[in-house]
Amino acid sequence: MLSCSSHSSRATLSAFSHFLPTTSPYFNFSSLSPKTFSPTPLNFGWRAATAPKPRMASTFPARASAQPLQNADELIDSVETFIFDCDGVIWKGDSLIDGVPETLDMLRSRGKRLVFVTNNSTKSRKQYGKKFETLGLSVSEEEIFASSFAAAAYLKSINFPKDKKVYVIGEDGILKELELAGFEYLGGPEDGGKKIELKPGFLMEHDENVGAVVVGFDRYFNYYKIQYGTLCIRENPGCLFIATNRDAVTHLTDAQEWAGGGSMVGALAGSTQREPLVVGKPSTFMMDYLANKFGILKSQICMVGDRLDTDILFGQNGGCKTLLVLSGVTSLSMLQSPNNSIQPDFYTSKISDFLSLKAATV
Amino acid sequence: MERCHERESIFPRALSAQGNLETLARSATMNANGEAAKAVPELLSPQNARLLLDSTEAFLFDCDGVIWKGDKLIDGVSETLDLLRSKGKKLVFVTNNSSKSRRQYAEKFNSLGIAVSEDEIFSSSFAAAMFLKVNDFPQEKKVYVIGGEGILEELQLAGFTGLGGPEDGKKTVELKSNCFFEHDKSVGAVVVGIDPYINYYKLQYGTLCIRENPGCLFIATNLDAVGHMTDLQEWPGAGCMVGAISSSTEKKPMVVGKPSTFMMDFLLQKYHINTSKMCMVGDRLDTDILFGQNAGCKTLLVLSGVTTQAILQDPSNKIQPDYYTSKLSDFLRIL
Repeated sequence: MLSCSSHSSRATLSAFSHFLPTTSPYFNFSSLSPKTFSPTPLNFGWRAATAPKPRMASTFPARASAQPLQNADELIDSVETFIFDCDGVIWKGDSLIDGVPETLDMLRSRGKRLVFVTNNSTKSRKQYGKKFETLGLSVSEEEIFASSFAAAAYLKSINFPKDKKVYVIGEDGILKELELAGFEYLGGPEDGGKKIELKPGFLMEHDENVGAVVVGFDRYFNYYKIQYGTLCIRENPGCLFIATNRDAVTHLTDAQEWAGGGSMVGALAGSTQREPLVVGKPSTFMMDYLANKFGILKSQICMVGDRLDTDILFGQNGGCKTLLVLSGVTSLSMLQSPNNSIQPDFYTSKISDFLSLKAATV
Repeated sequence: MERCHERESIFPRALSAQGNLETLARSATMNANGEAAKAVPELLSPQNARLLLDSTEAFLFDCDGVIWKGDKLIDGVSETLDLLRSKGKKLVFVTNNSSKSRRQYAEKFNSLGIAVSEDEIFSSSFAAAMFLKVNDFPQEKKVYVIGGEGILEELQLAGFTGLGGPEDGKKTVELKSNCFFEHDKSVGAVVVGIDPYINYYKLQYGTLCIRENPGCLFIATNLDAVGHMTDLQEWPGAGCMVGAISSSTEKKPMVVGKPSTFMMDFLLQKYHINTSKMCMVGDRLDTDILFGQNAGCKTLLVLSGVTTQAILQDPSNKIQPDYYTSKLSDFLRIL
């Protein structure tokens, strides 16, 4: 079912054809009408959003329940690279989580490569580098992979023509990364100030040279942008529809959840009745990219995250070890709930357990 | 019909005479052998138009793309409606566009020179309020609206308290550690329809209500992806706003507009006509025509809106109306 709606976008994938568009495993609109399915424009966007249980995970045998992390040393010795999610693992909002600096230092001292992969597209890698610095962590730009960077990297990987433009429904991070990669963009936060008037004779024009629409979290989301993006996707032949991520909610402040990038993407999927190419977790694009870049084997990686349907699924889809930390959005009861089918290899309360557990086993 | 049952989870069924409607729906699409009829839509012609007219007591019209496009009347519509009324036909207007109330739609018709009364109009804004009414939504609970004035007005008429609506289009959000986004804990339902004033404030408000208020309902007036909000082009419809909220809440909405036959129940309360003597005229296959088929009506597709002949005849299209024609005023030319 997924494949029908993504035919046109699949045709443009080259080296990364195996990562394929993914949708959130939470969508289960199997009881929708009409039963008949056609790519556009007859089916409801929902039909296309129907995802079987995570595509790649379903090819593995049913996983055993996650084990509480007891022998941290064993895990540390068995891998060469640790990939960390940021929100809920390294920090919460603007506060560092306890014991993080010491843990990262310890891992580095044991020769481990550290990489930070976040679905948050509001900042560029450079801007994230500054955030790490402000929090007293020494992390370089090259170690950071935000979904804003992923969108630009994806366009580069498919040789997106430089004479085509990219329309952005999202924030500054995406614009900065596109600029760095040498692409011309339109839209972004500025379009948040644009208004439309639905009256006779009014025609909204759009640039026919837009060859891709990139959608991510956008606090300046409005009807102008939705229409612009919709027109590009529906009317510009071969126009790509790229999503930085589809997170339903996200901890933009540490006090509460906020509607995430998934809602902006859902809006465009609803109006275009097309499924986007997702470059952020749980799509393995970023993992393939960094494995390629650093020349590392997936089996040598451990993904550490706080969210099952993005971080852990990302790790599993990529074929690496997975460690869930309970310092973010997922609680132990959520992990152990019968409704949950995503089981990481290990779980622990927070990453500084690497230090305390290590001490315990000495 | 298997299809009807599967749909139940997001499309509320028409409440009365459910069995009758189903039987009618079945008979409308099955042949004598009980197999699904593989009909090919007939182009409206002098012969079949006469037959259609004689066997129809009530014509149900979609509005956007059939009667008007934005605020512009489609050519010949006024004369056609006059002709049908003169032949004693009942005219009913069934629209998924929730931006106006029935009263506001009546005003729009009148301003375009067509005499239509409020109770001949069944809008999805009305359907949303009725859904809450028939399901005994408690009056002490509130309804958060992501949509137009029409929904708020219908809610008020039905005795409910609405929050949100176009006003919230002016509100902004501060993403700072010391700023907490509050929401009314007494909101018991979020109604989502087409909203040209959509913004992050509303997305967040609706999301928090659905995710955090126990038992909060998520109701969609309709799922139309795009529609002719102006005469010159299509614009994102409710399907877009509903898509946004569905993604952030990870929930499916209850859809009260076409193709759900929910509104048909209210229609039948006013017009005691067998649905087989009704003809649904619309421009959209997956809402108008499907609605007509589900309810056991005859169906006529007009090509003056979102659907082209190419789309109708594409092999991937499985929804076949009984008839099709380029626009409503073809009736004038043909008869």
